[in-house]
Amino acid sequence: MLREMKYAIATIGLLAATTLQANDNQLELQSNPEYWATQLGNYQGNRYSQLDQINRDNIGDLRAMWQFSTGVLRGHEGGPLYVGDGRLYIHTPFPNKVFALDLEEQGRILWTYEPDQDPRVIPVMCCDTVNRGLAYADGRLFLGLANNTLVALDAESGELLWEASNGDHTKGETNTMSPLVVHDKVIMGISGGEFGIRGHMTAYNAETGEMAWRGYSNGPDKDVLIDPQKTLMMGKPIGEADLGVSTWPEGEWKRGGGAPWGWVTYDPELDLIYYGSGNPGSWNPQQRTVDGEPADNKWAITVFARDPNNGQVKWVYQKVPFDEWDYDGVNENQLIDVEINGEQRKGLAIIDRTGFGFLLDRETGELLVAEKFAPETNWASHYDMETGRPVVNEEFSTFRQGVNVNTTDICPTAMGAKNMQPSAYSPETGLIYAGINRICMNYEPYETEYVAGQPYVGATLTMMPAPVQEGDQEGRMGSFIAWDPVEGEVVWKTDERFAVWSGALATAGGLAFYGTLEGHVKAVNIDTGEELWSFKTPSGIIGNINTFQHQGKQYLGVLSGVGGWAGIGLAAGLEDPEEGLGAVSAFAALKDYTELGGVLTVFALPDA
Amino acid sequence: MTPTRMSRRVFPAIAMIIGVAVSVMVMFAAPPGAAQENGQGQGRPGDYIAIDGKVDQGTYDGYIAYTRACLACHGPDGLGSSFAPSLIKRVQQRTFSEFSNVVAAGLQIQPDMVMPSFADDDYVLRNIENIYSYMKGRAAGDIGRGRPRVIDEAQGQEPAQRREEDASAKN
Ligand code: HEC
Repeated sequence: MLREMKYAIATIGLLAATTLQANDNQLELQSNPEYWATQLGNYQGNRYSQLDQINRDNIGDLRAMWQFSTGVLRGHEGGPLYVGDGRLYIHTPFPNKVFALDLEEQGRILWTYEPDQDPRVIPVMCCDTVNRGLAYADGRLFLGLANNTLVALDAESGELLWEASNGDHTKGETNTMSPLVVHDKVIMGISGGEFGIRGHMTAYNAETGEMAWRGYSNGPDKDVLIDPQKTLMMGKPIGEADLGVSTWPEGEWKRGGGAPWGWVTYDPELDLIYYGSGNPGSWNPQQRTVDGEPADNKWAITVFARDPNNGQVKWVYQKVPFDEWDYDGVNENQLIDVEINGEQRKGLAIIDRTGFGFLLDRETGELLVAEKFAPETNWASHYDMETGRPVVNEEFSTFRQGVNVNTTDICPTAMGAKNMQPSAYSPETGLIYAGINRICMNYEPYETEYVAGQPYVGATLTMMPAPVQEGDQEGRMGSFIAWDPVEGEVVWKTDERFAVWSGALATAGGLAFYGTLEGHVKAVNIDTGEELWSFKTPSGIIGNINTFQHQGKQYLGVLSGVGGWAGIGLAAGLEDPEEGLGAVSAFAALKDYTELGGVLTVFALPDA
Repeated sequence: MTPTRMSRRVFPAIAMIIGVAVSVMVMFAAPPGAAQENGQGQGRPGDYIAIDGKVDQGTYDGYIAYTRACLACHGPDGLGSSFAPSLIKRVQQRTFSEFSNVVAAGLQIQPDMVMPSFADDDYVLRNIENIYSYMKGRAAGDIGRGRPRVIDEAQGQEPAQRREEDASAKN
C-alpha cells in the first residue's frame, strides 16, 4: 500500500527530491498504527486506529495516568500529536501556546512556544478563540495562530523556523483551523464567515513559508481557480463562466464569506485535497438575492476538490445553494471506499451541518446518497438526486417568510446537526461514528450593513432542543450515532444531555470513543453503542480523542476545556418556547455542569 | 409613528467623546438634574418601555446591537457564556457610567478573558445606551428571551409621546 502511494506521488513528476520529503514523511508516519501524526489520524480523515491493546475486554481497567494543565482558559479543540519521538505535541487556544511534553516523564515540559499576539484579534473571532491544532511533517510543526500568522517550528527545539501572514484581522479574518501538509505544501484556510470576509484556501511552501497558490471561494473563476470547461459539477463541466460573480447581487461576492475553516482531507492516489466552504456573507438571505429572487451564491457551502500542486479545482458540489439558515458547509469530507449497487466506488462521506449524510464519488463529485441522519431535519424534505439540490420546505424558508419575520422551529439549528467535531470511520464495520447536535431554532433576518472588521450577520436566532422522538432521552441536545453512509441510515444512537461537540475515535479494539460537554470521556461498544467506560475530566470536551502506542503501551490523549460555540450557546441553557417571561430555562444549562480550563489527560491500562 | 427616545439623539455627540477620553464618562454619573427627577421611561440611560413583552425602538436597537457586538462573548439574551459574565446580572450592580466606561475602555483582569474596547466602533458607541436599557429590561424581567417586538402605533402612542415631551423638556 505504502509503495503504491509513493508511486502515485512520484508520477506527479517534476517535484524536486526535497519537496517529496514532507509528504513522504507524513504518509510513512500515518501508515504506522503506533503514531497519531495528523489531527484526523490519516489523510482520509478516518480517525481510526488499528491499535487494539485497549479493547472491549479490558476497557474497564483504563485509567488516567497523568494530567497536564495548559494554563489557558478558553475552548480547547483539536488534540495531541504523537510521531514516535516519545513526546506529545499539544497546542492551546489564543494565545496559541505549543508544548512538547515528555511521555516518559508524565508530561514534563521539554519546550514551550508562546507567540506574542495582538489581543485585538479576540473580538473578531465569532465563536471563541479556539484552534484545531498542529500539523507535523519532517521534523517541523505547523500552527495557524489566531492572528493569521502561519508558523513553522522546529519540533526538536520549538524554535521558530518561519512565519507567513495568511490574513488580516482588521477585516475580520482569523485562523482557527489545523493546517494540512501535502507534498511540500502547508494548506491553510481562513475563518471570518460572520464578518463578511472573502474565503480562501492557500498553500505555502513547507520549507520557506512562501505562498504557492491561493484559491478563493467566490469571485471570478481565475480567483477561484476554476476552469469552467474542465471543472466538474455533478459529474459534468460547469460550462458557464464566473458563476462565483453572477450568482450574487452586484459586488456582494467580495464579502461573500465561504470561509473554509474546517478540516482538509487528501487522497494520495488521486492527488486531490477536499474541503468545504462556509456560509455566504450575511445571514439575511434577502441581501443575497438577484432581482429579488434566490441566487446560488457560489461557491459558498460547497465541497471543493483541488489539485494540491496548483490549487486548480477538479470538481465542486454545492450542498446548499442560497443559504437561508447559516448551514456553514465546512464539515470534514471522509474519504472511504465503498460498494454501492454492486460497484466499488471511491467515496466521500459527510455528516453535514444540514442534518443530511452525503455520499459522493470523490473522483467526479457525483452525488450518490443524501439522507437525514438527524431525524428532526425539516428545512428540506430531501435532495433531488438529479440536480443535487435540496428541496426546501417553504414553511422553513427564512427568505420566503421574509425579513423581520421570525421563522420558527427550523431543524437543525445554525450550529448544524453536526459542527466541526470530526467523525470517525471504521473500515471493519463500514460505519461512520459522530457526535451530533439535536437542536432547532427560530431565525429572523434583518437588514444589516457591511463595515469592514465588524460582524456582518443580519439575523437573530434562538435555539431549543429538537422535539423528542420515541425512545429519546427527555430534553436531550445531542447524540452519538453510528451511520451507514451507503444505506443512508442510523444504525444505532445514544443520547446525551448536551450536544456532542468532541471528535470521535474508532479503534480495532471494538470501541468508539467520544467526549461530552460535561467533561466525560466515554468508550462505547462499536457494534451497539453500549457505554462500557467513562471518565470525568475537569472541564467540558470539545477536543478530539487521539490514540497512539509508545514502547508497547497504547495511550489515549484528550484535551478538555469547554468553549467554542457550544460554550457560548449552551452555557445558560436553551429557550423553552412555553416558558414565561423571566423564567429560568427548563433545559439543562451547561454552566451548571462545567467551568473553563484546559487540561490534557493521558490514559492507559495499568501495568500487568 | 414608531416610538423613539430623545436621549438617543443627543447621545452620539457624547459618545464621540468617550472615544477620545474615557474619563469624560463621569458625566453620566451626574446627569442633568431635571432628568434625574423623572420617573420610569423618561429617557435616562437605562430607561425602556416594555408593554406585554414589546419594547420601544431604542431598546429594540439595543437588542440588535447586543446581538451583533456582544452575544459572541456574553451569550444569548445577555445570559452569559462560558467565558464572559451575564450582563443581566451585572447591570443590576453597575451605573450607566460604569457600564459604558467598560464598553469604551475594555477590561482585562485575567490574561485571556478579554473584554475588548469598543472605543473605535461608532455603531456600538451609538448604541451603548440602548444596550444598557435592553439589559435593564431583561434584569427586571420585563423583557424575555429572543428578539423583542417593537411596540406598534396603537399600543405605543401613549408612553412614547410622554417620553418625547419629557425628553424635549430636558433639552
Ligand atoms: C471578545 C469577547 C467579548 C465581547 C465581544 C464583549 N465582551 Fe464584555 N466582557 C468580556 C469579558 C471576558 C468580560 C469580563 C472581563 C473581566 O472580568 O476581566 C466582559 C465584561 C464586560 C462588562 C463588565 C461587567 C462587570 O463586571 O461590570 C461589561 C459592562 C461588558 N462586558 C459589556 C459588553 C458589551 C455591551 C459588549 C458589546 C458591545 C461586550 N461586552 C462585548 C468579553 C466580551
